[in-house]
Amino acid sequence: MEYAAVALLALYGLGYLVLGGADIGAGMLLFALGKGDRERRLVVSAIAPAFLGTEVWLVATAGVLVGAFPSLEGELLTALFPAVVTLLIGWVVRDVGLWSRGRVDARGWRTVCDVAVCAGSWTVAGAWGLVFVGAGEAGIGRAGPVPGIGSLMLAALVAAVFACHGLGYAGLRLGGAVGARVARTAGRIGAWRLYALTSAAMALVGLGIGTRLPLLETVADGATLAVLVPALLVVTPFLLAAQAGMWWLFRGRVRGPGYF
Amino acid sequence: MDAETLDLARWQFALTAGAHFLFVALTLGLSVLLAFMQTAATFTRKPVHRRMTRFWGQLYLINYGLGIVTGLVMEFQFGLSWSGLTHYAGNVFGASLAMETLVAFFIESTFLGLWIFGWNKVNRWVHLAFIWIVTITAYASAYWILVTNGFLQHPTGYTVDGDGLRLVDAVAVLTNPSTLYAFFHILGGAMVVGGFFLAGISAFHLFRRTPEHDFFVRSLRTGIAVAVPAVMFTVVSGGIQMGYVRQIQPAKMAAFSGSESELAALQAEAVARFGPGDYLPSVAAVRGAGLTMIMLFLPLLLLGGISLLLMAFRPVVLRFRLWHAVLMAAIPLPFVAMIAGWVFREMGRQPWVVTGLLKTSDAVSDVSPTAMRASLIAFGSVFALLLLVNYWLLFRTAARGPAAATLGAEPAEAAGPVLAY
Repeated sequence: MEYAAVALLALYGLGYLVLGGADIGAGMLLFALGKGDRERRLVVSAIAPAFLGTEVWLVATAGVLVGAFPSLEGELLTALFPAVVTLLIGWVVRDVGLWSRGRVDARGWRTVCDVAVCAGSWTVAGAWGLVFVGAGEAGIGRAGPVPGIGSLMLAALVAAVFACHGLGYAGLRLGGAVGARVARTAGRIGAWRLYALTSAAMALVGLGIGTRLPLLETVADGATLAVLVPALLVVTPFLLAAQAGMWWLFRGRVRGPGYF
Repeated sequence: MDAETLDLARWQFALTAGAHFLFVALTLGLSVLLAFMQTAATFTRKPVHRRMTRFWGQLYLINYGLGIVTGLVMEFQFGLSWSGLTHYAGNVFGASLAMETLVAFFIESTFLGLWIFGWNKVNRWVHLAFIWIVTITAYASAYWILVTNGFLQHPTGYTVDGDGLRLVDAVAVLTNPSTLYAFFHILGGAMVVGGFFLAGISAFHLFRRTPEHDFFVRSLRTGIAVAVPAVMFTVVSGGIQMGYVRQIQPAKMAAFSGSESELAALQAEAVARFGPGDYLPSVAAVRGAGLTMIMLFLPLLLLGGISLLLMAFRPVVLRFRLWHAVLMAAIPLPFVAMIAGWVFREMGRQPWVVTGLLKTSDAVSDVSPTAMRASLIAFGSVFALLLLVNYWLLFRTAARGPAAATLGAEPAEAAGPVLAY
């Protein structure tokens, strides 16, 4: 049961970093890839149809964490308080930008929303860097690490991995002038290979966080796991099927602007 | 624990959950109405139903999108600010939060994306299934959250083991009466919010003589026809609850009735049981909120009942502008009642976070007041901005009317303005 709980946490956590991380990375590059209002709308259209289905993996990760590792959830989030608050603020700002940009037909409004998407994405990626650096501190009960130069550079590196992953994802989703710009930036490696490479890097980030957490020591009581884990194992295939359907429906390259 | 951190953490959670509740009330109410509109559109293929789905759907999405983010924050706040709670009671209430995210919200979010971006991409029956899945999982999500909340109000199915709780009876947790009563009460309340929202915005357009008579007469009638039975259902489900709450949380009801002698007796009883301390909730907050919630029922039922009669006459629906103005003014009332009911329920539980087991002051995280204050300011200002942008965008989009709806526009329609450049 304990191992199944860890496997579920890994599944949803890595799922978020690979799928949701791509949206964050593409958002970071919004102004770099999209020159002008129309092109930026295309980049947003590359993120938009699936973003609800990708960010939800993080919600699920938090759910598995609080359900199967409740005391770790409390200690981890408290120990990483500044990083988690920053992550949440960035996430909120990014999402509000996405949801709002198409709702008012004025260039100034869309630019403000694009800035929110881009700045919010950078904030989220940076906060993940801080979480990565601080993950080893959890469970000791310290009120958060004081980052030195080395750990700040490590955090910046994690944020850079997000950006590269966003580039790989954008290469798969976008054609035309924006797609050509992505291809030029990526060099000769090719969109699929870049995406596979950055996905692996994102997974390493996730494993770097997860393997340093005292998971088996903090797992919930057996009676709780006996109810929770089978229930989650039963629904997971349905969730994966729904996700597969979603990706199949939105599989094509972005051809024009969407609802956002 | 630092007293200042505690106050700041309580304000932070109250603002987050309160803001979230305002968004959710409208989302839950509108989603059912929307699912029925799209069902009508799919079966009859009448353009008016399709246009109604698109117009009201667009308002639903604005509110959903800006509301969803407050929920994301709330989920993380349990661990951020209340790690004492997850540490002590996590074995029981963590599982229901986990079920909420995976069994309900994961599906809801995935299918909402499919619904928004799947217009004109999938078969209309499949698209109809999408909105129904979103609606049903939204209510499933509400149920699971209320399992968590019900446990905090009235813990069941647990045993105390060492310095924490252990789950012994999952069925008792899932069928906690505190959960079930509240679920139906909130379901009714959400339909009141949704119904008056539909009626009020339709009245706005009828008042302005927008040339969309059929569209808004239908919408107004739908809104009222839903709101009136929903008000009665909400009142009855609330009334039934009162006796039960008196049993499980006598201090909440004593504070509500403001009876000094009863409060003093409960305080003495609690001191004898739990040791010295203050075991009473704030009378002003509980009584004020409870009375606000209950007194709003009268104007809503009165307005709903009169509207039910008036709406039978089409010329009246089209021309009675005083009535239109009253319906517009009534849009905020159900929101006020909802938030007052929430304050009543949550403030009435204090000083306990888990009734009789864990005090709120023992649940707060070991975070410095400075860090907590900084996060309160950050979240507070973001949420204030969210509510402002939400209501401004809702009003603006509502005022522009169905002709301006871009949700679900045919690809040719959507490309129109682009081609014109």
